[in-house]
Amino acid sequence: MTVPAPREGDQAAAMSLRGLVKQFDTKLAVSQVSLEVPAGSFYGLLGPNGAGKTTTLSMAVGLLRPDAGQAFLLGYDVWADPAAAKSRLGVLPDGVRLFDRLTGPELLAYHGLLRGMDAATVDQRSRELLDVLELGTGNRTLVVDYSAGMRKKIGLACALLHAPRLLVLDEPFEAVDPVSAARIREILQRYVAGGGTVVFSSHVMEVVERLCSHVAIISDGVLRVHGTLAAVRGDRSLEDVFVQVVGGRVSTGSELAWL
Amino acid sequence: MALTVVQRPPRSPWPFVKLKLRLIAGGLRGRPSRITLFVLGVVMAGIFAVTGYAVFAVPGVVGDDRAAGMLFQLGGSALVLGWVVLPLLFFGVDESLDPARFALLPLPRRTLIVGLFAAALAGLPALSTLAATAGMVSTAADLGGTGAAVAQLGGIVGGLLICVAVSRAVTSAFATGLRSRRSRDLAVVLFAVLAALLGPLQLALLAGAERADWDAFAVLADVLGWTPLAAPWSLGLDVADGRLWAVPVKLLIVAGTLVGLLWWWSATLERAMLGAASTGSKAGHKDVGSPTGLLLGRRLPRTRFGALVAREARYWWRETRRRAALITFTVAGLFLPLSISISGGSAGPVAAFVGLIAVIALANQFGYEGNAYAANITAGVPGRVEIHSRVVAHALFVLPLLLVIAVVSGLVAGRSEHIPGNLGLMIATYGVGLGLVLPVSVRAAFALPESTSPFAMSSGGGMAKGLLTVGVMLGTLIASVPLQILAFVLGDVWLWIGLPVGAAYGCAAYLIGSGVAGDWLDRRMPEVLAAVSPGR
Repeated sequence: MTVPAPREGDQAAAMSLRGLVKQFDTKLAVSQVSLEVPAGSFYGLLGPNGAGKTTTLSMAVGLLRPDAGQAFLLGYDVWADPAAAKSRLGVLPDGVRLFDRLTGPELLAYHGLLRGMDAATVDQRSRELLDVLELGTGNRTLVVDYSAGMRKKIGLACALLHAPRLLVLDEPFEAVDPVSAARIREILQRYVAGGGTVVFSSHVMEVVERLCSHVAIISDGVLRVHGTLAAVRGDRSLEDVFVQVVGGRVSTGSELAWL
Repeated sequence: MALTVVQRPPRSPWPFVKLKLRLIAGGLRGRPSRITLFVLGVVMAGIFAVTGYAVFAVPGVVGDDRAAGMLFQLGGSALVLGWVVLPLLFFGVDESLDPARFALLPLPRRTLIVGLFAAALAGLPALSTLAATAGMVSTAADLGGTGAAVAQLGGIVGGLLICVAVSRAVTSAFATGLRSRRSRDLAVVLFAVLAALLGPLQLALLAGAERADWDAFAVLADVLGWTPLAAPWSLGLDVADGRLWAVPVKLLIVAGTLVGLLWWWSATLERAMLGAASTGSKAGHKDVGSPTGLLLGRRLPRTRFGALVAREARYWWRETRRRAALITFTVAGLFLPLSISISGGSAGPVAAFVGLIAVIALANQFGYEGNAYAANITAGVPGRVEIHSRVVAHALFVLPLLLVIAVVSGLVAGRSEHIPGNLGLMIATYGVGLGLVLPVSVRAAFALPESTSPFAMSSGGGMAKGLLTVGVMLGTLIASVPLQILAFVLGDVWLWIGLPVGAAYGCAAYLIGSGVAGDWLDRRMPEVLAAVSPGR
């Protein structure tokens, strides 16, 4: 049951995945995933744990070589022309370590210079990001000693530093406290309003429902539904759609009757 | 059972002893591997006890009271030191009576201390120590009759109490300390230094023993006899020698030490019971400089390459496994040529070897930081830039060390004219080693365990890939043979041209190897990332 995404003819796709396939040993982790992410959209990738969200996003940003298929970022082929595609991309991977023996400011400076920015810009933006995300501009703590939430925030700061046109965030709200989550949401919404595109994965319905203009649901490595939030959701709640699509048990009311 | 313990405020230490025995018994139930370990422990303790008894009883049998004095006081001191060091090395082995577990019970600290102390005495290590030192009683009886035997018996009990008290106190003091990452890192590095120093120390001890001056040892032993380390162990001998006045003084030393140790223990116990020490946020809010300045310091260029080198150099210093590797290299690199120089051998082949062991640390260079390497991939760092930056950071540490090693070993050998030539050889092997190890590091990267301890081994594929390192070493040795021959054939001419020729040879090999490695990396970045990601 694929809901066709509305065509927005004049806008080029910010991210375009065509028939991505990845096999781990015996398990088919991602099977023929094709997805168009319109520029300027806030795209939520939903799926239960182990559905293939991280694998898909890793292939899309050039961290994991697909067995088959193509990935285009802002029109550039990630695997054929990686330099052009990656220069306009910011990534917050999940389950991936940062260079955590650096302090927060050092890590930001590292990422900025790695992207070829000049030192003055790096310093100015780093200070601003550290300040806005409440990580402390003079914080000498090594990132390895940060809490999980702080690590997410510094990772996000690293992804934002070079002002990319496309942000790919894997589970950006996991382990983040509510206050910081609100701050991050605000930043991301402003970023999209300014013409940026965000693709993020999550398994929390509320976040996706509140933020996203577009949604895709993936389970068992297969893209089940995608389209605008309104089209996917229809007149039901996103959670109902999700449970139905993923194939969770629907309560009949007769089981566990002794409760 | 537990109820009775709780209802009656326990004044006696017996509940603790019973708990400890129960824990030992419970641990034995069912699991064959645990039973095997326990039996192994019993056997080891038995062997220790019997050997110890035999060794300590020998002077009595042969009637040598001078040997007895040295053996008791030096051996006893070693025992006490062993009780201090072993719990630190194996901290966490016996957490059955971890003080933190009693934190919720309404126990007066005094009861807790006495109880834990008694429980610590009721264990294999304490029993076997007592049995081993019982040999001293036998010797004392042989040398000085019943009076001496009684005094020595008191001595070994006092000694055992000191052993246990000091080990408990030190463990508890470190329990809080070792819970924070920073201090664990420090401990790991200290142990790396110790481990690296073991070889040199052994040789030094052997050399010392050859020129042994037994009188010096005897003086040392007598001095130790008046310290807490050996005071308890010499009581019986003092009686046998007629120095009765020494007995009460030494008993006072023992008692004072015990009281001091127990007081220290009870002071640290409270902090240990609080569990994980909250280190507090060190988030200083004063501005300490620009982020790029913090990363790069003053000298490095404000570019991508500068950032890569700075990050890598930080990692050589801040990551414990890398720091341990650097320390081991420093110690081995200084020690090998020095020992050869002192014994008058030729430093040439050793110089080659030093350059070679420097590169071993790079064999799995991508494994150290695990999948953090993803950041460099998303930033699109080209392979050759990546490789060059890593080598520059490594060379920042290694080249000065090579210079120091060449100068020191040349000066010690009294052949300062060989310094440039040997340095040339070292740089050549370092370059050749890099040329070989860099491609290997790209093709055969493997994931290291998440733990940052250098003693944690990676399981599975790591071993096979580690064998490649041996291949690299062999290849480097072979590739540096032409230079060795050249140096040998040219003789004095080599003294003049050794440094430039060696440096050129090393640079050429490095450029070839790094080029290959960089190109491979360009094609294999995701594969390298997958290889160093744990648990895929």
